[in-house]
This record gives sequence, structure tokens and C-alpha cells, in this order.
Amino acid sequence: MLRLSLLALTALMLLTDLVLAEIPEVAREEQILLVANPNVDTHQLNRDTTRAIFAMRQRTWPSGQAVRVFVLGNNHPVHARFAKEQLSVYPHQLQLAWDRMVFSGTGQAPDRVRNQAEMRERVANTPGAIGYLEREYLDDSVQVISME
Amino acid sequence: MTVSKSFRWSDFRSLSAMAALLVLGLPGQVHSAEGVMGTLQMHGFLSQALVITDDNNFFGPSEDGGSFKFTEIGANVSLRPHQDVLLAAQVLSRRAGGDGEDATLKLDYGLIDYQMLSTQQRTFGIQVGRIKNPFGFYNQTRDVAFTRPSILLPQSIYFDRTRSLGLAGDGLNLYHEERLKTGVLRLQAGFGKARIEDDADRALGLDRFPGSLEPNTSAITQARYEHDGGRIIMALSTASVNAEYDSPPGMPGDGTFHFKPWVVSFQYNQEFWSLTAEYAIRKLELEGFNAFADSERNGESWYVQYTRRFLDDWQGLVRYDSLVNDRSDRSGKEFEASTGGAIPAHTQFADDITLGLQWTPHPRVMLASEYHHVDGTGWLPIQDNPDPAKTERYWNMLLFQLSLRF
Repeated sequence: MLRLSLLALTALMLLTDLVLAEIPEVAREEQILLVANPNVDTHQLNRDTTRAIFAMRQRTWPSGQAVRVFVLGNNHPVHARFAKEQLSVYPHQLQLAWDRMVFSGTGQAPDRVRNQAEMRERVANTPGAIGYLEREYLDDSVQVISME
Repeated sequence: MTVSKSFRWSDFRSLSAMAALLVLGLPGQVHSAEGVMGTLQMHGFLSQALVITDDNNFFGPSEDGGSFKFTEIGANVSLRPHQDVLLAAQVLSRRAGGDGEDATLKLDYGLIDYQMLSTQQRTFGIQVGRIKNPFGFYNQTRDVAFTRPSILLPQSIYFDRTRSLGLAGDGLNLYHEERLKTGVLRLQAGFGKARIEDDADRALGLDRFPGSLEPNTSAITQARYEHDGGRIIMALSTASVNAEYDSPPGMPGDGTFHFKPWVVSFQYNQEFWSLTAEYAIRKLELEGFNAFADSERNGESWYVQYTRRFLDDWQGLVRYDSLVNDRSDRSGKEFEASTGGAIPAHTQFADDITLGLQWTPHPRVMLASEYHHVDGTGWLPIQDNPDPAKTERYWNMLLFQLSLRF
């Protein structure tokens, strides 16, 4: 009896989710761009490579230069949007990927910044740095990387 | 949620000098000493649980008012002395029942990772040292609460009885990531010696003899495909673990031990929920001992798990988890008969219904609790329940855990 009701409960939760998943995303905010330190000589990345870099599985730019990854907090709306829209992954998947790397010795954690101003400053001053910014935070201190 | 803070030490000059020496032979740009130390990261974790059972003991005297003897403490350090090289090591102290001695600090992993190829299309690398085995979804970080969906991983696959066998190997591991049009394919192959500790002797009933199991060359491989950014993940893992039993003269005689598990893993991810399932077949062979006949047994394990994230920092879990020690004797009745009724049939299987809740009020703090209703004692730790005749078939377990990390 217990098992049956559990099964029913699970099925119900699943169904609710499937229905909710159909509702389209609302309100498109300002565009988020991939940015890098000016000394990086790669100007274009495909989505899979970008995802591998942000998941900390790939440690160098395609040119061979070391990458330093900067991210905002998981609960920062710009981080969540960047992960979902540009990388097609959910923030919780990225967090779990980092934890698995860090605690199995297969990779390192990204560097965390508090806000976009700090993001711009750290990316501008760290060789090989990669990060992301909303268009209004862009200036000449960082370069925009185009994503295929 | 923020990622664990990294501590940066800028003036460890001797360490930088060593790191620089280590990568002298590699081509390409070597970081300046400051650049190298800028990549130094340290992380750690601590988990303490309370285990309460109505019958049978799990991780200590849980039946008598509860056991606090489930503690996991670890710390790791990593460094990138060269753009293609990662050095990483972790020490772990883990107590899961037993006496305090079990909690001695051990090297969990320690490796040099050289990622020799890294393009837009693929990455390829080699790791040398003590490497965590990529087995199923959870094995590599099975002792880190923050990477587990529940306080206890599904015990049918991630049980403790022969934990040392599957945990890590001393040898080398090759990894390859290929980006396809639809997703990412990741392959790993490792060779080396398994870590074999007393738990394996105990699980095989060899602990009553003064001899010991010595590891032989073992292999592990995993193929993993992540579709559409990890919305769908599928993996196939297999290992061949070999050991030789070095017997004292006479009983039980020298023998060999083979363990060949296969695991198929599947996960479907949405923003607020995930569905996970794994299925495993475990083949265990003992050969050549003169104290008992050669034996081959095929165990079977599987679970289905649903996790739901809500209110930003909560996660709920429902799971059904099932294990049989011998596929040809699912009820354990033949086994019971073969022991003349001395060891009950319910020691040969376990069906576990789990309900769990996790709360992460701060990125560095996690509180969890879960309830298990179990039919059978197939994965019940032997050291907590030395006499199988005194175990109960149906039992319930309640766990609470506090986890911290930096």
C-alpha cells in the first residue's frame, strides 16, 4: 500500500513537471555576452567548447593558453540566464559538475565574483580569463568572444 | 550558491620552485611563479550523521538509541604548474561504524593529470597516480555529502561491504572527450592495482584465516554520453578487479578472486527535477581454494530515483532500490537451505524505499534527513551485525546529517 501511494505520488509530480515545462520562458532581458581578457588570441568559441570550459573540463583555450574561469553566484540571475541560454545547462548541473571535479581530483573550481563590475575587473586583469557580462557592463578593458 | 572559496598562498617559493622543476620538460609557456600559485586551490568537507534504526545495526549501535559513528572528513589541494598539467591530492578520514581506528587519515587520491590535447572538437589526457574509479554516476565522489542526492547512496550499487575494491586504483587513466553534433561522448580507461583492505576479506568470509588478499592488475572503463547539454546522460561502466589470496600453509589454500561488475546509468534532467536510474550486474568468482569449492555468483542491483528541487535551496527525493546477491536464488531460500538454516534467506537480498530531504541554507552548509524502509539485509554491514541469524528481515532507518565545506 505504501509503495503504491509512493508510486502514485511520484507519477503525479512527474506529470505536473511535464505540464509546467511547456510554458515558454517569459521576458527576455538584456543580452549576455561571453568576454575574455584582451591578451586571449581566440576570438570565437563553439558552444560545446564554451560549455566544457565553464564545466572546468577543458583547461586551455584552443590556442593552448591556460584558461581562468570567472562566474557569478549560482543564485545571481545573470549566472542562471548565462548557463541556461548560452550553455544550455542548468545552474545546479554546473555546480554538481564542479563539485565532482574538485572532490575527485579531475579539475578545479571556477573563480567566483560577486557582481558584474568585479567580473569585468577580474577578467580584464587576469591573463587567459573568460567570463560573461550583460551588454551595459561592457567596455574596452575586455574583449567579446563570439559564440557559434 | 557560491562555489567553495579557494585559498591562495602567494609566497610558497619553495613549492613553486618544485612545481617549476616538475614541468621543466614540457613545451609551451610556463606560468610565472606568481601565476602558478594563483592556481592553488584548497577545499575540504566535514559530515556528521546520526543513524537510528528500529532493528539491525547500521554504522554503529544504531538500534540502541542511535549511532553518531558516521563521520566523513576530507581536504584536498590542487595546482596547475603548467597550462596542460593539474596536480591534485585529497586525504580522507571516514568512520562508518567500527572503531575509531577506521577513521585514520588515508590518501584518497593523488595524481598528475596531463591534458595533452585540447581543441574545439576534443580533449584528451592522461592521469597517473591514485585515481578514483569512474564507476556509475556517484563512485568518484561517494564520500562527499555535497555530491550525493541523499545521505546514503543507493546501497544496492554503492554498498560498503567491498568498498575498498571499487574506490580507487593505483595506476594510470586515459580520458577522451569528443564533441559530436548532438552531444558529448566521454571515454575513460584505467589500469592499475585496486586498493584492497580488510572489508573484502570480511565480505568473502576469508577474515577467519590469517592470510590476505593481494591486488593484481585490474582495469576499469566508462563510456558516457551527454545529450543536449546533459539533459539526458547515459553511461556504461565496467571493471575487472583481480586479486590473489596468499594463504598460510594448509587452509584455505592459495586462490584467486575475480570481480567483474557492469553498470548501466541513465539520467534525465530538467531545471527543477531529475530522474536517475542505474542497473548493475556483479559477477564474483573464487577459484582454487582447497577449503571450499570454486564458486561463481552473479549479483544484481538497480534503483530508480526522482529528485525535486524547490524553494531555491531544498531538494526532495524518492527512491526504490533493490539488490539480490545471487540472480539464480532471488529469495535466498536455496542459500538458507545450503547453510542448514543457520543463515536466514533475507541476508541475500534488500529492497529499500527511501524518502529524503536536503536543505542548503548557505552554500557551505547542508542539512539532510531521510527515511528508509528496508526488506532484507543484503547490504547491511557485517561488522555491525556479526551474527546474521540475529538480524530482522523488515527494518526501518532514520538518518540526519550535517555537512560543511570550504
